[in-house]
Amino acid sequence: MAKFDLTSRMGQYLDRHLVFPLLEFLSAKEIYDETELLKAKLDILSKTNMVDYAIDIRRQLYPNDEVPEELKQRRVHVVSQLQELQQEVEPITKVMGNDEVMKTMENMRDSKTLINFLSKDYNFEIDMIESLHKLAKYRYECGNYSVSTSYLYFCMLVLPPNDKNYLSVLWGKLASEILVQNWESALEDLNKLREYIDSSPNHFGGNSLQLLQQRTWLIHWSLFVFFNHAMGRELIIEMFLYRPHYLNAIQTMCPHILRYLATAVIINRGRRSALKDLVKVIQQESYTYRDPITEFLEHLYVNFDFDGARQKLHECHTVLFNDFFLISCLEEFVENARLMIFETFCRIHQCISIGMLAEKLNMNPDEAECWIVNLIRNARLDAKIDSKLGHVVMGAQPLSPYQQLIEKIDSLAVRSETLVGLIDRKLKARNDIRWGTQEF
Amino acid sequence: MSRFFATGSDSDSDTSSQEEIIPRQAAPIYTFSDDEEEVKRVVRSTKEKRYEELTNLIKLIRNYKKIKDMSSMLTSFEDLQRAYVKALPVVQKEEGGQTPRFYTRCLVELEDFIIEMWEDKDGRKNLSKNNSKSLASLRQKLRKYIKDFDEDITKFRENPDQPDDEEEEEKREPEPDSDSDVPVKPTIKTMKPIVRDEGDSSSDSEDWPSDSESSSGSSEDEEKFTSMRERFLKRTTEKDDDEDKEKKQKDERRKERKDRDKRKLRREDEEDEEGEWETVKGGVAIPSEKPKMFAKDAEIDLSLVVKKLSEIVAARGKKRTDRREQIELLHELQTIADQHNLGTAIGVKIKFAIISSIFDYNPKVSDAMKPEYWTNLIERMSEMLDMLQNYDSILISESVTEETERFDEAPYRIRGCVLTSLERLDDEFIKLLKECDPHSNEYVERLKDEAKVFAIITKVQKHLEVHGSQSEVCRIYLRKIEHLYYKFDPLVLQFKSGDIPSDTVTSMQEMERLCKYIYAKDATDRLRTRAILSHIYHHALHDNWFQARDLVLMSHLQETIQHSDPSTQILYNRMMAHLGLCAFRHANIKDAHNCLVDLMMTGKPKELLAQGLLPQRQHERSKEQEKIEKQRQMPFHMHINLELLECVYLVSAMLIEIPYMAAHEFDARRRMISKTFYQQLRSSERQSLVGPPESMREHVVAAAKSMRNGHWAACNSFIINEKMNTKVWDLFYQADAVRAMLTKLIKEETLRTYLFTYSHVYDSISMSTLAEMFELEKPVVHSIISKMIINEELMASLDDPSQTVVMHRSEPSRLQSLALQLADKINNFVDSNERILETKQGNFFLRNANQGGFRDRQNFRAGNVQDWSRQRRDNRRGEY
Repeated sequence: MAKFDLTSRMGQYLDRHLVFPLLEFLSAKEIYDETELLKAKLDILSKTNMVDYAIDIRRQLYPNDEVPEELKQRRVHVVSQLQELQQEVEPITKVMGNDEVMKTMENMRDSKTLINFLSKDYNFEIDMIESLHKLAKYRYECGNYSVSTSYLYFCMLVLPPNDKNYLSVLWGKLASEILVQNWESALEDLNKLREYIDSSPNHFGGNSLQLLQQRTWLIHWSLFVFFNHAMGRELIIEMFLYRPHYLNAIQTMCPHILRYLATAVIINRGRRSALKDLVKVIQQESYTYRDPITEFLEHLYVNFDFDGARQKLHECHTVLFNDFFLISCLEEFVENARLMIFETFCRIHQCISIGMLAEKLNMNPDEAECWIVNLIRNARLDAKIDSKLGHVVMGAQPLSPYQQLIEKIDSLAVRSETLVGLIDRKLKARNDIRWGTQEF
Repeated sequence: MSRFFATGSDSDSDTSSQEEIIPRQAAPIYTFSDDEEEVKRVVRSTKEKRYEELTNLIKLIRNYKKIKDMSSMLTSFEDLQRAYVKALPVVQKEEGGQTPRFYTRCLVELEDFIIEMWEDKDGRKNLSKNNSKSLASLRQKLRKYIKDFDEDITKFRENPDQPDDEEEEEKREPEPDSDSDVPVKPTIKTMKPIVRDEGDSSSDSEDWPSDSESSSGSSEDEEKFTSMRERFLKRTTEKDDDEDKEKKQKDERRKERKDRDKRKLRREDEEDEEGEWETVKGGVAIPSEKPKMFAKDAEIDLSLVVKKLSEIVAARGKKRTDRREQIELLHELQTIADQHNLGTAIGVKIKFAIISSIFDYNPKVSDAMKPEYWTNLIERMSEMLDMLQNYDSILISESVTEETERFDEAPYRIRGCVLTSLERLDDEFIKLLKECDPHSNEYVERLKDEAKVFAIITKVQKHLEVHGSQSEVCRIYLRKIEHLYYKFDPLVLQFKSGDIPSDTVTSMQEMERLCKYIYAKDATDRLRTRAILSHIYHHALHDNWFQARDLVLMSHLQETIQHSDPSTQILYNRMMAHLGLCAFRHANIKDAHNCLVDLMMTGKPKELLAQGLLPQRQHERSKEQEKIEKQRQMPFHMHINLELLECVYLVSAMLIEIPYMAAHEFDARRRMISKTFYQQLRSSERQSLVGPPESMREHVVAAAKSMRNGHWAACNSFIINEKMNTKVWDLFYQADAVRAMLTKLIKEETLRTYLFTYSHVYDSISMSTLAEMFELEKPVVHSIISKMIINEELMASLDDPSQTVVMHRSEPSRLQSLALQLADKINNFVDSNERILETKQGNFFLRNANQGGFRDRQNFRAGNVQDWSRQRRDNRRGEY
């Protein structure tokens, strides 16, 4: 199963702290060796300030070893530095404690007036923001995400968008919101960040490479939001597939994201139209990236190889089951994938034997019959079951050319009439007005 | 200016006139001479003006005659007529009603020329539309006009050789001397009166037959001039007394000229002496020569050699320098320097001088150098590079000036640029190859040098990687790329299939490295573009379809390539050709077609790929044009096989077009996918009797026909057979794979065609029968049919239990399909109606919303609608 695991590929585009949930998930799934995972965690932690956590993991890894002195010292150091920073931003934290002030601050649009207001009444200095930013970062490194969100929120209010720290504040905010699992505001931050990146290529000095990198990060980070937020499934398609910049980034930097995009499209029944575009992209990138999910789509919509699709669907099961982001939509995926196979089947066939269908859908015949009956009952399928032969007979009759013709001309007369009526009305109105103006 | 000068100069001005300013002098001399006729000054000035106008126009006409620019000639002729009318009173007064002879001459010449042009029917056909029109009208006008001058012309024709005016002769006189053309015009102007005074019958004018062609004096060489001048001078000495002064001046001038000649001669002599002196030396053995090169007892040291070297080099580029001897001389110097162990630096310097003098040996840039010099050049170059490589402390750069060169101690500094010499060498090599007949042994012999050139490039590359700047490294890398990109390296394919260890460096990796450097470091866009193109070419050549495609897509070159220089465009075309071939090998028929269609549409892929010049029908190329185009040509070993290209294109077109044709048989809006392919089809249809196919095109056409009928086997055998194998398919590296791919595609496409064409005769078809018929796997058939059903190309559905395709029989009949088309058109019509209304009055839904407010505006708009409807009515009236 390790074959389809993307954690190592994704890790390079994620923040250290964001990798933790992934690793936790992996250790729960027991795909990799536990000690290796622990080592990886330790490695990640070494650069953060979560010393306690690091010590914990060390104990798990090497139960017999003593905790090295160096770590203990670091802990002391971290704590002292934290206090130092805390003192520096004392005035701000006071302000932040005051709800009323915060409310008035929120109502102020301009960061300049805000700064004036603050420095007048609360002996605030602009340098403090720098320290606050540092403190937020420090808190974040310590794993104290919720505190860091509130600090960063303050930063965002005060800093003008062209400040050099603004971008890092945005990133920090998004990361902390994700880590405290506050999806609503995470989505907000995500949009803010995206706008910031898209709207101002000059922030990166016109360096398209850097821009591409920022977008790639954003794509990866956004996965957390999209697969946890209720609206995420719509938005992920919108952002990944229909924003050329991001599609470009996916194609050049991280084609493995196609897995998530494909899943999102499959489970989103309302967006069948996106399938065509998606299949095109998948085909284009098929040489750099393929996994059971993209292959499933390819089999179904490019080759019409239902056997292949069935096999891939089976594989998809395991892939989804072992993916941090996708595990929650496993049920939905399977259901929708089945439906997709069945739909395509129905469009091509006029008569299908239930046995074969059941086989193609990974079901047993009775179950399949039940499933089809349900579909028919819900009026999503115009078909009848010939239970003697065990066939499903499609009801839809093809359009005869005569009907087609009539359908085409049907609305023309009405449309023309309204047009004529409109012109007539205008003419009359004009005459009336003429007359009216003459009067004056 | 000259007149101004003339009035200002009185009699003693000629004494003050300096000898140095010769070109200027011409003017005062002649003006001086007409100072003697001060009497009629005022009259003459108007006359001068008129005459000058005329002569200028005549000159223009002569020029136009030479380039056969009829339309300009016509306008000039009209101007001339007008000018003559203006000049008429003057002429009446001066010549007593006689037409001036030069004017008559011009008319006569023009007439002759027009007649000649008119007679030359082939030539006339080749004229552009504009020109031939002008020719006709000019002919008419001239005829009409000439009638007035009948008498003069007949008189003139009796005695055409007589010089009309001396002006032409005089004009010629100052030319050889004058470096600028400033004095020429004044001379003409001022000389005229004298000429007239002398009359037409100068006694010795006969010995100088005036022919109109030479009158412009552009083609004469110097010697002829001098002789003529002398003759002329002689004549002037014989002139009357009142021209004494002029004569004197001329004498003076002549003397001075002689002086100069003498000086020149002396200089040449010196050079000659030097040359001879050197030749003698060249022949004799080295030790005995040495004293001649340097003084016998001179102690040869560094400074002496440097001095000698600069002496030799100084002669470079001079007219009389014997280039061959210079080369020998430098070789000589080299051996001397070697003998005395003067160090590497000076050796390198001398080598440099040798190399550049070899380059100089060939006076024409467009011609290739002689093979013996070429081999010499290569040897010297690689020797020099070896020397450079062995001694790190030598700095060669163009930034080193002559003064700061240092040959005596460790950080040697030498002026020069290895890269430029190398680039020149490479260019020479290409020229040399182009010179040879590509099918001869000579070409092969020359081509063997490619390895040497490549080795030299590698050496320079190594040198520059250490010493050169980034841009220089980019340049040398590009040179290397240009020697690499078109070569097929079988190692790459082995590497891909994993037959050889993964640490071998194939040309692919090399290209990757070089190109990436250029992408990152290059500042000029041109190098980068060329590097990308070569990189894609290389990828395509080695079947790396995806990489090649992605590079093309990412570079966005398609949009900007029209603005680049021709050689880059040629490279782009070559790249596209190979990309097409690569796509074909990967069975991406559509991509292959798209890549090749631009090359093939025009019908002259040969020119687009710079693999030969085609005769042009519309207009001849000028010599220069041809020369430039020849320079752009690719050497033969880099050519892309055109027949292969065309065949691949036609086969791709067939595979796309035939099913499409079958599917849209009744569709009125069917568009052609490939024009070239249609042409082939049509030309074969026009034949009353079609024999068995011979050429590649005939094969493809025959295959297309059998595909249309659903005979896949016949189609396949037309495409893949002995003849086609030798002609085309064997040219692919993995020919068998290509053939297998082709057979498969032919089967599939024929199946599709079959279903399109014959579905209306079936009620249902069993899939297994189809699979049998086309020898395809059943899943493949199933997949193809499913695809057709989904895309609504085939009105049918599958019946799973019986494994058959059931036709809906709902294909529209001819009448129905026409009706459908009509409905479509009406739909469009209604749509456009609505759109017109919308644009005419803005969005009326919006307007309805705020009807209360803007009365004025509404009024205005309503007025518009009114206008519009009136217009409509008018239109309708027009229709009925």
